[in-house]
Formats: sequence, structure tokens, C-alpha cells
Amino acid sequence: MRIRTEDWLTKDMLNSLDKRILNRLQNDTPFVERPWETIARDLGITENLLIKRITFFKKNGIIRRISAIFSPRKINFISTLVAVKTAPGSIGRVAKKINSYSEVTHNYRRTGEYDLWFTLVARNKKRITEILRRLKKDKNIEKLSEFPVVKLFKIDVKFRV
Amino acid sequence: MLSELDKAIIGLISRDIPLTKKPFKDLANKLGIDERILIGRIKSFKAGGLMRKFSASLNHRKIGFRYNAMVVWNVPDRSVREAGNIMASYESVSHCYERRRAPEWDYNLYSMIHGRTKSECIEAVRGISKKIGCNDYRILFSSKEYKKTGVKY
Repeated sequence: MRIRTEDWLTKDMLNSLDKRILNRLQNDTPFVERPWETIARDLGITENLLIKRITFFKKNGIIRRISAIFSPRKINFISTLVAVKTAPGSIGRVAKKINSYSEVTHNYRRTGEYDLWFTLVARNKKRITEILRRLKKDKNIEKLSEFPVVKLFKIDVKFRV
Repeated sequence: MLSELDKAIIGLISRDIPLTKKPFKDLANKLGIDERILIGRIKSFKAGGLMRKFSASLNHRKIGFRYNAMVVWNVPDRSVREAGNIMASYESVSHCYERRRAPEWDYNLYSMIHGRTKSECIEAVRGISKKIGCNDYRILFSSKEYKKTGVKY
């Protein structure tokens, strides 16, 4: 069996300092001149060591990025969830085509009659309609449904490491 | 209304920020503005609720959360608010939305559940199901991640 990189880097291989760093970084970065210095001081380590560990986490893909996360709706963007049923044997190709739109932020294969689920965040409704209209023309997409948000109850992605 | 400067700031800080000692100064230089102005705008985005957070996004698979389940629920419309609020209170639930029903997909509540094992996810779903008194649900585990990225504003 092929061993994937993912299997190597498990939670157990991180030491207690690593875990404290990762838990802290999932909360807001301080909005100060030297944010890493502030965080490092809270953790009782040097700024240089913190930067070194973050560099390591990024290199290993544990940290995807450190960035601001906006609420699309509040900055006048539209987001939606779309499900498609792909023709047998075509899922890889369809996924690639869907991913080619920069508006697509997440795309997962899932169990069930709809086998691909993706989210779109776009400048306006028209752009979403346009992307979906183009995808519907793909012969490998047998069915496509959109599930727009009616009400948001929670978004809080945080993992206790 | 967002100013042109705000839009430029949002576009820049939605992407990975530099890992330099003074990242905001470097970003401000890129925009040709003073660092204090940039930090002031970021604080106001946060205070105004435009910005949800400014933090690290982790690859959940790599830190042991290998399973993510999207659970779709068919909850009576009159109790959707109550059910949504209950779901939102669970730590294992990262996202919870009411969504529009579709003709052949009669579900109105969606929750995303992360777990270290498949059974951990299923247990959490059972707990929620019992608590909200809804047995009409489906658990859709993800078997492959084709894309996961930040929004490109």
C-alpha cells in the first residue's frame, strides 16, 4: 500500500509547543506592528522560534495560510452550494473543470447520488448563474442542483489540536 | 459602501500574509499607504463584522481530523430555527445553514461535522438527531478533496 504524506503527519507527531502554537494561530492575529512577537510573548517563546515553527507548518501543509476571512454577504458577494451528479468515470475531469473557476472555493467528492459538492463565491448573482449555465452544458454532468443559503446559523472552523 | 482602498485591502489580506516580522508594514507598502491606516482599517472590518477572523487555516486532515461529514436534515420548517441553533452549539459542528429545498432533495438544514474517526462523526450526528428529534437525515462523507482555498476577492 502506498503511504500518503497525510499518514505521516498526524497530531501525535506534534509536540506540546506545536499544539499550543496551532491552537493560538486559529484565533485572531493581533492587529499590531509585530503580531508574531506578541503571540510569541504570550506563548513564552521568541519571535524567531515562532516564525520558524510557522514556516515548518506551512512547508508541511499543516497551515494552509494565515489570512483574513470575510463574510462574503457583508462585502456584497454572493455564495452558494452546488451539487452535481457526474457520468460514470468522469468525476476527475468534471472536478477539474469546476475547479478552473476561481470563484470555486471548496470542491469535495461525497457519497450519495450527487457525487460532487462545491461552493461558489462570486461578485454577483449573474456570475453564479453564468457559471452554472456553462457547467450544465457539460455532457458529463447529468444533474446539477443549487442550494442557496436561507439562513446562517454558524461558521466557526476551529480544530483543537 | 466599500471604498476602493477597502476593496484593495480586502483583496490583499484574504491571501496568505507574509511571514516577516512586520507583515502589516509590508502589506501597507504594497498598497502605498501608512501601516497605521492599514491596521486601523483591519480593526474596523473586524468591529463591523465584515471580517469574521484573521487567523491560520489548518489542513484538518493533517492534524488528525480525517473525516468530514456534510449532514443534510429534513426538519419541519416551523422548527428549523430552533434545530439550527441547537446544532450550532455543538463544538464538532463547524458550519450550519438553512438552505433552500429542492424537488428531489427535500432537506433544509445542513451541518458540517469534523471528526478524527468515522464513528466519532456518526456518534455526533446521532446525538444531534436525538436532541432535535429528527430522524430524517443523511450523512455524506467526503472521500476526496478536489479543492479547498480561500475566496479570491
